[in-house]
Amino acid sequence: MVSVINTVDTSHEDMIHDAQMDYYGTRLATCSSDRSVKVFDVRNGGQVLVADLRGHEGPVWQVAWAHPMFGNILASCSYDRKVIIWKEENGTWEKAHEHSGHDSSVNSVCWAPHDYGLILACGSSDGAISLLTYTGLGQWEVKKINNAHTIGCNAVSWAPAVIPGSLIDQPSGQKPNYIKKFASGGCDNLIKLWKEEEDGQWKEEQKLEAHSDWVRDVAWAPSIGLPASTIASCSQDGRVFIWTCDDASGNTWSPKLLHKFNDVVWHVSWSITANILAVSGGDNKVTLWKESVDGQWVCISDVNKGQGSVSTSVTEGQQNEQ
Amino acid sequence: MEKMSRVTTALGGSVLTGRTMHCHLDAPANAISVCRDAAQVVVAGRSIFKIYAIEEEQFVEKLNLRVGRKPSLNLSCADVVWHQMDENLLATAATNGVVVTWNLGRPSRNKQDQLFTEHKRTVNKVCFHPTEAHVLLSGSQDGFMKCFDLRRKDSVSTFSGQSESVRDVQFSIRDYFTFASTFENGNVQLWDIRRPDRCERMFTAHNGPVFCCDWHPEDRGWLATGGRDKMVKVWDMATHRAKEVHCVQTIASVARVKWRPECRHHLATCSMMVDHNVYVWDVRRPFVPAAMFEEHRDVTTGIAWRHPHDPSFLLSGSKDSTLCQHLFRDASQPVERANPEGLCYGLFGDLAFAAKESLVATESGRKPYAGDRRHPIFFKRKLDPAEPFAGLASSALNIFEIEPGSGSMSWFVDTAERYALAGRSLAELCDHNAKVARELGRNQVAQTWTMLRIIYCSPGLVPTTNLNHSVGKGSSCGLPLMNSFNLKDVAPGLGSETRLDRSKGDTRSDTVLLDSSATLVPNEDNEETEGSDVPTDYLLGEVEGEDDELYLLDPEHAHSEEPEYVLPQEAFPLRHEIVDTPPGPEHLQDKADSPHVSGSEADAASLVPVDSSFSLISVSHALCDSRLPPDFFSALVCDMLRFYAEQGDVQMAVSVLIVLGERVRKDIDEQTQEHWYTSYIDLLQRFCLWNVSNQVVKLSTSRAISCLNQASTTLHVNCSHCKRPMSSRGWVCDRCRRCASMCAVCHHVVKGLFVWCQGCSHGGHLQHIMKWLEGSSHCPAGCGHLCEYS
Repeated sequence: MVSVINTVDTSHEDMIHDAQMDYYGTRLATCSSDRSVKVFDVRNGGQVLVADLRGHEGPVWQVAWAHPMFGNILASCSYDRKVIIWKEENGTWEKAHEHSGHDSSVNSVCWAPHDYGLILACGSSDGAISLLTYTGLGQWEVKKINNAHTIGCNAVSWAPAVIPGSLIDQPSGQKPNYIKKFASGGCDNLIKLWKEEEDGQWKEEQKLEAHSDWVRDVAWAPSIGLPASTIASCSQDGRVFIWTCDDASGNTWSPKLLHKFNDVVWHVSWSITANILAVSGGDNKVTLWKESVDGQWVCISDVNKGQGSVSTSVTEGQQNEQ
Repeated sequence: MEKMSRVTTALGGSVLTGRTMHCHLDAPANAISVCRDAAQVVVAGRSIFKIYAIEEEQFVEKLNLRVGRKPSLNLSCADVVWHQMDENLLATAATNGVVVTWNLGRPSRNKQDQLFTEHKRTVNKVCFHPTEAHVLLSGSQDGFMKCFDLRRKDSVSTFSGQSESVRDVQFSIRDYFTFASTFENGNVQLWDIRRPDRCERMFTAHNGPVFCCDWHPEDRGWLATGGRDKMVKVWDMATHRAKEVHCVQTIASVARVKWRPECRHHLATCSMMVDHNVYVWDVRRPFVPAAMFEEHRDVTTGIAWRHPHDPSFLLSGSKDSTLCQHLFRDASQPVERANPEGLCYGLFGDLAFAAKESLVATESGRKPYAGDRRHPIFFKRKLDPAEPFAGLASSALNIFEIEPGSGSMSWFVDTAERYALAGRSLAELCDHNAKVARELGRNQVAQTWTMLRIIYCSPGLVPTTNLNHSVGKGSSCGLPLMNSFNLKDVAPGLGSETRLDRSKGDTRSDTVLLDSSATLVPNEDNEETEGSDVPTDYLLGEVEGEDDELYLLDPEHAHSEEPEYVLPQEAFPLRHEIVDTPPGPEHLQDKADSPHVSGSEADAASLVPVDSSFSLISVSHALCDSRLPPDFFSALVCDMLRFYAEQGDVQMAVSVLIVLGERVRKDIDEQTQEHWYTSYIDLLQRFCLWNVSNQVVKLSTSRAISCLNQASTTLHVNCSHCKRPMSSRGWVCDRCRRCASMCAVCHHVVKGLFVWCQGCSHGGHLQHIMKWLEGSSHCPAGCGHLCEYS
């Protein structure tokens, strides 16, 4: 076997549904059907189990790390309709908050950019999206968007705090008036963009329609020097779209088909500089995509986790063979 | 065995058909039971007691057993059971403690047969003996279980659990004399029907009440129990001590449990509260239900498999006053909906990927690709080979390291740490940064720095003779270009990045082509490449290829060979300046407007012309003219910065912005700059590069950025007279109405540095105190203290 550095047992007893690295890339949180959330220290290529968080009563679908300025905070959501916010204090992890405001499985959690404070968006199979805002002293305020997606919401992803155009007319030095936005994907095959109104209510801003089956994941690209807002979405229909919005008003989004896979595409994930997109599909492969100068998305490598072998620059032809 | 064959015979030829359907009941149901013909179901509740026929397309009400003008409490049913041998025999448990039997064969409208009023409180459960026609068992809230012989007027025997209320009683299907009972206190007892004095066996099965139990229809020893602790446990009773063989965790307390016919490991459950769904679990996969029926809008109170040998029809009654028939094939399967993969792009360009192992296994045997430079790390859970089971899932979690260049971020850290942004002349900064970039294998960036140096710095350092070489073999136009193209530094092989980047016509792509390997490509592509590219390539090719040589010729650059540059001292001052002017670029200014413009600068001018032949002309023109203001390029440089930023290399954009300072700042709008700064600072902080981040904040000219370092630093000041905290502003203490921190020498308020004697706490302006101390060592305040300053 090639270059397998280490083999470690995550000791998860069932399928792993999500793995997330923290802000500094030093810790990895995994969650599984076995109802547990585990935190590993992955510094210097090691894998040390630092915490095994038990508290959910069903499969845990997704985990999300909060920005470290708030401390070590991890949110997890589960089939048991609960969202648990875990906090590390003096080396021990404890349940800081439990949110049980959903009527069905909670499928996705995502922390807002740290600039807004601690805000967590949760998408559930009951079709609603709830937003938990930390108001201090262990209190969380809940806002709920009912019927955000009929049948259910599968993914939520926040827009970066700095949206091009949002700083216009802001005298520098003042705290910019952020417009909070996030994207959600659901079983209605839609991607929806939500915006917080001035009165604090969340309003549907856009409906992006291109997928022909459940949207499985949406990922708003980090805004690193990019002039446009970019969202990647993937679906049960095997297609991955890149949505871009160039105009300052943020109303015109155009989709570009990245690729049509032969199987469900489960996840899309941006590199921190937003120039590479990792896509994982039902064929159990991860492919990395990069936009070429002429605006085409090209597969630059694919990762087969089957044996950890990774091929560089697999061409279209090779890919289809596999 | 005897019973089984009889049932099969009875239902031999019939094949069940039907669809998922439901019907509305008049009242909430408490329990349901199916007739052995699998064509009728009885629904019982506090105010309902009806028999429905299960037809192909619908439920049809067949009989209402609740008769009489004023129904007695005896009809308020907690449980109902249909005899599995006698189609006419039913028993109900009433909430008032009465056990009633019903004979559907009675000709009158009232089918009530016998009434046993022996229990003092609600009877929770009734159960017929599976093979003995006349034996009925009941379990009550009063803690007793009673066995009735339907041919007699009262109970045959009474069993006292000696514990709390009885929640369920179930005759063993295989052991004629055995029954199990479950209790409110978490106990399960096993009784021999012939020995009412004490139970055969007792164990604590659950934490809290055990609401239900069910004997496995085939496996003699297996008993499933469900409790308020939200668990379903499967016990092997065949062994000497009851052994827990499986445990399923549900999300709500378990009200009913029923083994699924013909499926050894499946059981159906419903909950007492919160959850309205009916689940079918595979006990070997205790975390995710195998199937789920979501029809009910309120708590499901009764579940029953329609036929003891048909696994596909499940009936359920609910508090929402509906009766449902669920078809297994219509069930939603949470496993199918569950996401089998987790993917995360790590900070360092590594990729964490978790995938279902069964998927992974099918792909083994693929050949690894040669020349693989990535290092996957495995987290793996081995499948237990002892139990091959397709439904059991585990995941392999891998972390992939991506090769440098395509995604790894190590270059970012190295670059950030080693770049010099201020404290030296522009030329030195550019050279240093170019060197850093080259050492990290980022030739494109290195060339950009070199080019910036050429554009903005004092020329004359580059001998023009060097530039007048002809182009290498690649030159398709054949014109004598002034730059030589040196292939020796071209990296072996093309990085994927390079290939993506090549051949974009507009000016911005020029910078892309600076990559060492890219320069090879345009060599062959010259004809197609638009004119503006050509000279740039060659110019940069030259720079790339020869700058070592250049440095050797140029004594001023000898120091740039020093192994590592330490960040300038002023990045870490003890007290940071409040002003937000960048200290860096000021002293560089004089160099920029040097009178002599070199050939290399003139070369850069050739970026502008549209055709390669023109470029030559314009170059020579520029050479003659030899005076092009650096401003000439600023639009181009700005484009380049935007290009880098767009590529995600905001580091380059910010670094150039800082190094060039005023030269380009005015050409890029404040907002974009701010955005670059914030992005870069955020990235630096993610990589824990605090010092660099601080330096960038300090060097930034944007007010919004430089105030970042002033945020969240709080100084608490106490009044020097009354020792109370000072108000947030002003120099006068609110309480004692005196100015705090007065200079003892000049009697003015000290704003800024205040020195004081720790002995007498008098002090003042530094200069004043120093001057005073030259003449006297006593305190200037006149307190007589001999002040000591260190």
